[in-house]
Amino acid sequence: MFQADPNNFRELRTTSRPDIILRMTRNDDTGEVFVGSSDAKVYQVDPMVEQPEFLAMEGHTSYVMGLVDTGKYIVSGSYDKSLIWWNKETKQQVRRIEMAHDRWIRNLTTTPDNKFVLSVADDMVCKIWDAETGDLVRTLESHIKVTEHGFPNMLYAVAVSPDGKLIATVDRIAKIKLWDFETGEELKELEAPKCYTWDPKARIHSIGGIRSVTFSPDSTKVAVGGIGQIGNVDHLAAAGRVELFEVASGEKLHMFEGDDKHKGLVEQIIFHPSGKWLMAVGGDHGGWVQFLDVEKKEVVKQLKAPMHVHQMVVTSDFKMAFGVGHNRLAVWSFEPEEPMEEKTEEAAG
Amino acid sequence: MFDRKIGVDMSVNTDRRGFLSGATAAGLAASSMNLDILKAESLSNELKKSGKRVLLLWLAGGASQLETWDPKPGRLTGGPYQAIQTSLPGVQISELMPKMATRLHNTAIIRSLNTQIGDHGGGARLMHLGRRDEPNLKYPDMGSVLARELGRPDLQVPDYVSFYTATEGRGNAVGQPGFLGARYAPMFLTTDNKPANLSRLEDITDLDHKERADLRALLSNRFAKGRVSESLGSHNVAYGRVRGLMSSEKLFDLSDEPQKVKDRYGKSLFAQQALVARRLIEAGTPFVKVARAWWDSHGQNFETHLELVTELDHVMSTLLEDLEERGLLQDTLVVTLAEFGRTPTINASLGRDHFARAWSASLTGCGIKGGTVFGATDEDGQHVKDNEIGAAEMFATIYKAVGIDPHHEYFVGARPIPLVDPGTHAVDEVLA
Amino acid sequence: MKKYLLLIVSLVLAGYMQPALKAQDLLPPETTIEQAVDHYIQAEQATGNIASAPQVDDYILLRRTMLDLIGRIPTVAEVEAYVADEDPEKRVKLVDHLMQQPEFIEQLAYDLNNILAPAGKTDLELYLADALNNRKGWDNIFADMIYGNYEEEMPKQAMQFVNLRINDIDNLTNATSALFFGVNISCAKCHDHPLVSEWTQAHFYGMKSFFNRSFSNGDFVAERAYGAIKYANTNGEQLDAKLMFLTGSVIEEPEPVVLDDEAKKKEKAELEQLKKDKKPAPAPEFSRRAQLIEIALRENDRDYFSKNLVNRMWNRIYGHGLVMPLDQMHPENPPSHPDLLDWLARDTYTNDYNLQRLVRGLILSKTYSQHSVYGGEKRPAKFWFATANVKPMSPRQYAAALALASRNPAHFDDPNEAVSRIQNEVKAHRGWERKFVVPGEKFQVSVDEALLFSNADEFKDKTKVANDRLGGELAAIESNEALVQRAIKTVYSRPATAEELEAISAYIAARSDRREEAISQIVWALLTSSELRFNH
Repeated sequence: MFQADPNNFRELRTTSRPDIILRMTRNDDTGEVFVGSSDAKVYQVDPMVEQPEFLAMEGHTSYVMGLVDTGKYIVSGSYDKSLIWWNKETKQQVRRIEMAHDRWIRNLTTTPDNKFVLSVADDMVCKIWDAETGDLVRTLESHIKVTEHGFPNMLYAVAVSPDGKLIATVDRIAKIKLWDFETGEELKELEAPKCYTWDPKARIHSIGGIRSVTFSPDSTKVAVGGIGQIGNVDHLAAAGRVELFEVASGEKLHMFEGDDKHKGLVEQIIFHPSGKWLMAVGGDHGGWVQFLDVEKKEVVKQLKAPMHVHQMVVTSDFKMAFGVGHNRLAVWSFEPEEPMEEKTEEAAG
Repeated sequence: MFDRKIGVDMSVNTDRRGFLSGATAAGLAASSMNLDILKAESLSNELKKSGKRVLLLWLAGGASQLETWDPKPGRLTGGPYQAIQTSLPGVQISELMPKMATRLHNTAIIRSLNTQIGDHGGGARLMHLGRRDEPNLKYPDMGSVLARELGRPDLQVPDYVSFYTATEGRGNAVGQPGFLGARYAPMFLTTDNKPANLSRLEDITDLDHKERADLRALLSNRFAKGRVSESLGSHNVAYGRVRGLMSSEKLFDLSDEPQKVKDRYGKSLFAQQALVARRLIEAGTPFVKVARAWWDSHGQNFETHLELVTELDHVMSTLLEDLEERGLLQDTLVVTLAEFGRTPTINASLGRDHFARAWSASLTGCGIKGGTVFGATDEDGQHVKDNEIGAAEMFATIYKAVGIDPHHEYFVGARPIPLVDPGTHAVDEVLA
Repeated sequence: MKKYLLLIVSLVLAGYMQPALKAQDLLPPETTIEQAVDHYIQAEQATGNIASAPQVDDYILLRRTMLDLIGRIPTVAEVEAYVADEDPEKRVKLVDHLMQQPEFIEQLAYDLNNILAPAGKTDLELYLADALNNRKGWDNIFADMIYGNYEEEMPKQAMQFVNLRINDIDNLTNATSALFFGVNISCAKCHDHPLVSEWTQAHFYGMKSFFNRSFSNGDFVAERAYGAIKYANTNGEQLDAKLMFLTGSVIEEPEPVVLDDEAKKKEKAELEQLKKDKKPAPAPEFSRRAQLIEIALRENDRDYFSKNLVNRMWNRIYGHGLVMPLDQMHPENPPSHPDLLDWLARDTYTNDYNLQRLVRGLILSKTYSQHSVYGGEKRPAKFWFATANVKPMSPRQYAAALALASRNPAHFDDPNEAVSRIQNEVKAHRGWERKFVVPGEKFQVSVDEALLFSNADEFKDKTKVANDRLGGELAAIESNEALVQRAIKTVYSRPATAEELEAISAYIAARSDRREEAISQIVWALLTSSELRFNH
């Protein structure tokens, strides 16, 4: 079931869009796919059909930056600072929390049991919500709000460990905070300082930050993604970067960096269920998908994507992948092009 | 046939006023290439200009109009930030400027600049000179013109101070006196907030420093007597300004500024330079430019603008409040300007690129009808919809706001050079 | 219709550039340059009833001549020796002696480089010094700089004129027209010239055509055998540019080489390889740049080239051109002395465009040795050339002047050591050049310079009382009068006036408690005063 081979990974189809699709969620049981857009709408879409139809769900007033499927609801969060619970069938709003955060919401995730929704925003607070009632259960707050250079900090992403015990939050200045899910206690602060570039001289502002975070399937490791040090902060002019830490010791296990042809931000990281390799997706003006081998400690494969990829989901059987990003939605397959004959020796993972 | 009518050299080596009046008395400048003012200004104009000052916040690299003065909420070109209601009914600006949104009563927003030049060097030259370069003639920049028109000969402070600390694009931030001559060159501060060589060395007393300069003047004036040269005159004028400029050194030193005021401005370099600028303005410096670089957000426009607009919003609103509280705002015009704006179309790096076709600027304070918005772009911000203006109109408006006739002419040789290109007019709608 | 227009244009231009008098009406060619200059200048003054300023004394003449020829002020020893010399031919001998010094070529190359190269670029200066040392005429120097046969020695530096502008052909066209022909045609790029009806877009694009096939390949300038310019006039019509010089003369050229895609690919690969090998690409058989040299120096078309040279050299020596501004040699802006310009232009092209010869003649004239203070009541305007103009020093001249004037003058007394000591002192101060701006037309001194001298730590050394400094020597002189005389002669190369004696003595007397400081301050005042800053 998990014998997916990165060497077979190939693009099946792309669909053009006028907007930027920033987020997507896919229910592995039902196959339902929802995406969140720069046009402030959430859409249901079937990426498997030749010319997918986008069914709009209107309610937000700015970029949809977080989108999760709790089984029962779709929950979305936006730069408009609100959270919306949607009925999947009727596409109607079930609940709306107007000022869920004081500043722009950057991302959402759920616990593995789908009982809670977690949101992060530029108020530098991570909020845990009851997925069913919408009640605010807890707030996690210790990321600094203003950087040492006097600029606003930004809280980009959040992940919950597969065992449900840990929460990781990551910010602009490349700090990673680990929290105890049960108590809300801050356990540890890690950092990946190369992901944040401060230019004190030529342009006097910053770029970068950690944009993606995920735990390994066994919950012992945490991977964060962003971009390396940049000379000219006008552009995403450095290779994408993933750093892998051991949770228990806080030790940095490895740093993966793509080559110069794959510059930009790592927008999302996906572990293969074996824990032996992971995928990093993102881009600059263009986009790419990278495969990182945890044991070999190297980038084993890099390929161009048809657009800067903002989010990707892979089916649990690791046969298909769906990605959204700049003006496009794309579908990839892990299955070999020809009918299977013999399993080749070179299969990774 | 060569014209020998004006065969007498009337250039005079004396101070600025003397130099000018000598030339005016001569009546015609056709004899030489001297820069002369032919039209004596009316007394009312003089009064109107007296004590007026201009502070330019130069947003180097090109700030986005969409994330500042001309938001397009709900459009694909609008980006993620919302528009917020301002103190003016019906006027919205970007939510990144909450402080400015509450205090637009002295400000005019111009949303209809089409300046056509989309490269940094060319755009910056245009927006410093107010016109395109002409190879045969070196135009003065806005600062030099204002230093000349608003400065007074007896001024003890520098009349044109320019801050540009970031290195990127510094060469584009033109400070050139052009045909006005080095007298109106900027004091250009880059690495330090304090100008070089402004303080007396310790091994000479203040009295000896002064009397040494007097002895020099005596020797030098003896030499200059009976000789005629613009360069020679400028040499002695430059030395004549040294002592006065030295006395303005304390203006650049924030240590005697109350802590409360420093806290209010904040710690950033831009904030500190804005505070020095306020001190200079207060002391009578007619033109100060504070450049904030570098806004060139080809990648990550929204993060960059979150940083830089937040800073601008705070510094600009603090500065305006401070000037207003001190009673200076009615005589001080505060301008935000850049070489261009940024594309409404968002690129795949979530960046915005160079865009000179439809962008914004702001004018606050002296001579401005506060609370006005001039011009408009279409719903996506791709084109100017109403009241398009270019660099020349912008410059004419700035000049007129501080009491300078934009059609006033300089003469370079026999050639009349109006302050702004012929046929362009100030935007009277934003003038008080 | 177009053709006729062009024809008319050519005629008008040719008319302007033709000598105003027929050749036989000019002074004969065998007249010396200095005689011709004085003749025409005085003749013109007579028409305006203008009297010239008195001639300067030996002190000022020595200083002026040395600054103009070798870029430095004289030492006290040199001043005293020259003034004491009773040889009636001493001036001519001085000029010829100075022109033999290496500093003569160095300064000429430096000044030409400041005109020809964008600010701060110095490669061209190396070439110019080399060419002038080899007695190349301006025509050959021009050819080296525009066409640059890479097989000859020093070609790369010579080609800097083109190479530094190669990425902007409009700029290259303008710079060539303005600097070598005295004609700024850039206004004619977008429309026919607004002031000069004779200059049309056709002239701009005609001139541009000489360069449009040139491009940068690695470190070298290369040229293709094809490529043409089309331009739109103000009516929006598309026109083909001809290979046309400023005079309106058009060059008939062979059909451009036509390359198919395959050949173009091959050409590209070859150029890439040459770039990698750091080698120049061979010039095409028909080079448009070579044609520019050909036509610019041709008998019927060479007036622009020769008159521009004369006007620029005249401006360099006399501080004001015969045509001002220097890049506006057009019919609406006639020269102040057309016959003189014609005579000098003829002299220069008949003498192989020899710069040394031209400079020598201009310097030996009586017009050159007039005083810069006009004795009479109404000072005549510059174009009468009835007084000498005060010229701001170049950065290199001022650095040398500061170096020598601030040194203990006794250091240069020994005639056996003087030459090398002066050279060393001047070279040691080359770094100071960067503190000053190259003076252009209507140059003004900035307040930054005054602040530097008033308060910078690095200038303190020049004024201090120390053995190797002027201040050190002055401190050892007991009599105030002798002290002032020595100081003035060192810094200004002349005896002190009564007024100076009085003022400076009083300054010292008021500081009897701190005499050394007073001396240091006096040195400061002398060094910073305009009399050192300017060549008068």
